[in-house]
Amino acid sequence: MTVVMFPGAAQHGSWQRIELQQFVSMSSDAIAMGEASTWYVGVTERNDPQFFLIGPPPEHDCILTVSRLGRLYVIEDGAGHVLFESNNLTLLGEQAVAALRRRKTAIVARVAVAWGALREFCEEKTEALGEHIELVGHFAPQLAPLV
Amino acid sequence: MRVAKAVPQVKRRKQAGNWLKELRGRAGMSQIELAQALGLKYYTFISQVENGFGRVPTESMEAWARALGVDPSSFARELLSHYDPELHRLLFEVNR
Repeated sequence: MTVVMFPGAAQHGSWQRIELQQFVSMSSDAIAMGEASTWYVGVTERNDPQFFLIGPPPEHDCILTVSRLGRLYVIEDGAGHVLFESNNLTLLGEQAVAALRRRKTAIVARVAVAWGALREFCEEKTEALGEHIELVGHFAPQLAPLV
Repeated sequence: MRVAKAVPQVKRRKQAGNWLKELRGRAGMSQIELAQALGLKYYTFISQVENGFGRVPTESMEAWARALGVDPSSFARELLSHYDPELHRLLFEVNR
């Protein structure tokens, strides 16, 4: 696979005010909803600007990275999966918000599955306990004279 | 680089990132060359990890190790000491 690079990028090294405003606005909503805790900006080895959105404590994992390579914006998740590529800043903001929503939905789904499994486990244990109590109730009168 | 809050997890990942950067330097590779070796479309994830914001995913640790020319087991063990120090302690430091 060929890694995409953009030699001679137009605005190298730092974010423009309009770009940062877009990312900060997107981040503020995520932070307010508890989906993110903070954000950072940085650069790559080739001085391409990056914006990192950090998840909630205790892990503080990176949940979204926006990078600008030449005129192309790339959104990746914390595992390096490319979620979106575009040279349209407005579209990028929308996609970033959508990616955060998908992430939240995925977390809710995982919690729901875990809760379901736990409930099933508890129900099985309760049923087994009920059977044991029934058995004791059945034999107890017969065993009582022997004690 | 703007650093809003210094948290232990971020610091540990930063240490891991510095270590990875050092390994890459020793291997004489650029971030782009490492991304190429790993089959990534963009090299930006390498920067995310080296800056201490992302982690090397467990499933690609072996590929990273081989690309950087180091032993995969030692590589994974070193990363675990940064990413999950308690698990590393239980696995490798507690006396049996």
